[in-house]
Amino acid sequence: MNPSVYLKDFLSLLVKRTIGAIGVSLGTITIIFLISHVLSPNPARLWAGPRARASTILAVQARYHLNDPLFLQFYYFLRDLITGNFGIDPLSGQPILAEIRFYLPNTLELVFFSFAILVVVGIGLGYMSGMRFSTPVDSMIRTIYLASWSTPMYLAAILGILVFATYIPIFPSGGMYSLSLSPVRSVTGFFLVDSLIELNIPAFLSGLQHLILPAVVLAAVNFGLISRAVRSSILNVRWSTYVKTARAKGLNEDEVKRKHILRNALIDATSLSAVLFGWVLTGTVVVEELFAWPGLGQFAFQAIYSNDYPVLIPIVVVFTLGVIIANFVADVLYSILDPRIAMGAQTGAIS
Amino acid sequence: MGSILQMKFRLGRAAIGKMQGILVIVVLLLVIAGGVYFYSSNRPGTPSTTTQAPTTLVVEEESQPDSMDPAVSYATSGWEVVEQVYQGLLAPNGQSYTTYVGVLAQDWTVSADGMTYTFTLRPGVTFSNGDPFNAFVMWFSIYRTLVMNQGPAWILGQNLGASNGAGFNITDSILNSINYTSPSPRDLNYMTYPNQSVQVIGPNQLIMHLGYGYNGQLPYSSFLATLSTPTAYAVDPIVVEANGGVLADQPNNWMETNAVGTSFYKLQSWIQGQSVTLVKNQDYWGANLPASEENSAIQPATIDTVNLYYKPASTMVADLKSGFAQIIVAPTSQYGVLSQVQGVSVSVLPPVFGSAQGVHFLYMDPYAFQPFQDVRVREAIANAIDYKSIIHTVFNDQATQWIGPVPPGFPYYNESTTGLQPYQFDPAMAANLLAQAGYKAALPDGTKLNPGGKIFPAVNFLYDADSSTEGQTAEIIASELGSIGITVTLTPLTFKQYANVITSTSDASTTPYPFGISFYSEDYTASIDYVSAITTSPQIGFSAYSNDTVAGWTTAAASALDENTVISNFSQITKAMYYDYTDIWLYVPYFMTANKSNVIGMIPNPAGSGAAYFMFYNTVHYSP
Repeated sequence: MNPSVYLKDFLSLLVKRTIGAIGVSLGTITIIFLISHVLSPNPARLWAGPRARASTILAVQARYHLNDPLFLQFYYFLRDLITGNFGIDPLSGQPILAEIRFYLPNTLELVFFSFAILVVVGIGLGYMSGMRFSTPVDSMIRTIYLASWSTPMYLAAILGILVFATYIPIFPSGGMYSLSLSPVRSVTGFFLVDSLIELNIPAFLSGLQHLILPAVVLAAVNFGLISRAVRSSILNVRWSTYVKTARAKGLNEDEVKRKHILRNALIDATSLSAVLFGWVLTGTVVVEELFAWPGLGQFAFQAIYSNDYPVLIPIVVVFTLGVIIANFVADVLYSILDPRIAMGAQTGAIS
Repeated sequence: MGSILQMKFRLGRAAIGKMQGILVIVVLLLVIAGGVYFYSSNRPGTPSTTTQAPTTLVVEEESQPDSMDPAVSYATSGWEVVEQVYQGLLAPNGQSYTTYVGVLAQDWTVSADGMTYTFTLRPGVTFSNGDPFNAFVMWFSIYRTLVMNQGPAWILGQNLGASNGAGFNITDSILNSINYTSPSPRDLNYMTYPNQSVQVIGPNQLIMHLGYGYNGQLPYSSFLATLSTPTAYAVDPIVVEANGGVLADQPNNWMETNAVGTSFYKLQSWIQGQSVTLVKNQDYWGANLPASEENSAIQPATIDTVNLYYKPASTMVADLKSGFAQIIVAPTSQYGVLSQVQGVSVSVLPPVFGSAQGVHFLYMDPYAFQPFQDVRVREAIANAIDYKSIIHTVFNDQATQWIGPVPPGFPYYNESTTGLQPYQFDPAMAANLLAQAGYKAALPDGTKLNPGGKIFPAVNFLYDADSSTEGQTAEIIASELGSIGITVTLTPLTFKQYANVITSTSDASTTPYPFGISFYSEDYTASIDYVSAITTSPQIGFSAYSNDTVAGWTTAAASALDENTVISNFSQITKAMYYDYTDIWLYVPYFMTANKSNVIGMIPNPAGSGAAYFMFYNTVHYSP
């Protein structure tokens, strides 16, 4: 493909997706805002405390414009969001932006680690299953991924804790690092990265030890979809004409598998992986709560529980953006892996 | 493009080229895990997952603190930390909840009319950063709570106010302008002015004048109890001023997450969502006190480090079993499981400590649901419930039935309830009362009463969805009411939503939740705290009960200085509410303690928020 056409298509897709992202974010914010207000039209008492005096409640109402009409409240809220001033958390008294800055890197660290496990294990098992079609190995792998796929996240987390933190205590049951360690200076906000920057190996190892179990649980309930997709793709291509041709040309089996089977099988898996990134991101709400992982998911859980919608809405925006970006990356990867498919901005789906 | 793809496939080949690649990765992960585990468990000074160094205590509970600021924190988990880092003038005397010991106050006297409290402060007290504590600091701290006007401010606001109602008004700008280390004459004018709530007499002496709060010009017999809460703890004005100062009606962001107090522990870290770490205050002023002046509330800490983790109940139980945690706050439902675990001590505390969990009762809002205006309907409901069965089935007998509003175990409970029996289960009487009220009803044997009567309209029944015990209780009550002819629609809400409804002050006649389970748990340890919350809420708020006469008795009890008047008023309130049946007293759950057997020294107190049943960690230690 002509690079300039490719770039044009890419930019066009970027613009479209950005506009779409704004629309989706606005829609999400509106829905969450309305639902929150229906559930608790005036949460001032909840935020002020059960026996707070009228003057205390009035102060909270004034601060969060709770006595204004709903559309005005929404306006104030949008204005704050757009200007990057997410306001003050009514329950903790902290700037919401600062809270998100604290929690987000912890979540991303968990998600990236989990995602790496998910992709490697998912593709690997899918490949093995496809290449050993109709063998006991295939059956076993299919059983594993179906079982994991159908396991609720909370159950997997509890089982993980029970087995690997209680009966075979090789991992901690929760938290992000051992409290006996000196705190690591925050540079990037990512604990593992910061501990490496500081060359603080005990902190790094402690962080890793705390990270493995929640990351594996997150990956375990999500890898099945990739395995299934890879297996399905392998089955589609392994007996195709071009693979036969490749073998007939005398290519060795390893090369055939790698270049002609796996590569094509990876197209679907790669785009699916990007979508799964969004799933893993939103899955942190349950996993972080159960593993006492101080991330955005846990923060969201607490905000939902506490009717803390000034906090909940920015979190939802972050999650929404994460899912939108993941989908965008999926589109881009798809076109990179399969040059037959352009990004379709001007020329349609197939060029 | 091609080179990118080639590179990707070279990487792909390395990672996943063959089945062995997967195995290698899995093995690598296991090796990393094993290595990390081995390293962590063998590194000196690092608590392992199976054994804990005796200088460190790991405590686990579900909720993390709401705030580190004594003027803002209003949750048990927040007070738990605040009580270890900050100190107030006084504290409950060991297990007693009616007597107090001096903490920052060495001594105090009360005037004959109960309106004036004079405190002599302990000399030589310093904050953990070295800043001095004195009467000016205490003056600042009390007014700061009142001016900030956050959730718990009402506890002090009942009797103290920032304004004297006659032109003298302490504002945030005044608080921020005063030099508390070397006050100027102008500063002293403010702090020593006599007609105000807190008056400084000298660097180590101050007077609190009651009557400037919303209770009006009345004494308050439980005033010391209110002063023992974190709302009256001393904060360092130098630290506050250096970090944003005081803002009227607003919290201070810095103080929300940081803490500098005078107490035996220092806040080392609060990793939000994960843990709080407290370390021993090495410069603690109380370490130098002569033994004759020491008491349990001020003695230096024994354990060097207290790690508080915030985890789900399932994880806590697992951690106590594995030895990672030494104390957990577990629900009573885990009693059977935990009592079987070797090396774990589990005990059920007397009912007075159950107040930390709350007293539970049914409320019936006659403003929002017309049938509740008929006392026969309310009495029928009181008779339709099998209380003993609920306590047995839902709580495994780890709860007690009670008669409110004075909580069992608290002062004057026995005197208030003399001659009364807890409500009894009598379904036949319940059906008859319902029939007399004009509704169709059914006896336990199925006999229909008043078949030509009205069908009792279905009514929503509110309860806390996050509480399994309330859920089970609600189902039992719904079934029992159904059997006499009352249909209820169960309407659970999450705790926060539920709490918002039962504390609402404005929708008594329009609420969709006119019936349900309510509860109250203390803000400070005093019978009057419960009684006033339950009797002076003219809305659903806690009780749906509104009666001006009873409210008057409550005020009389609150301000009475002699026991007989208190008892007399509490007795009248109890009887009036008992025969009114607007509130049906259900149960008070017992509180369960769960800790490793070698951890001792916890002093239970109803005011306790440390692991929800003791106040201070300084007395906790490992047995030799």
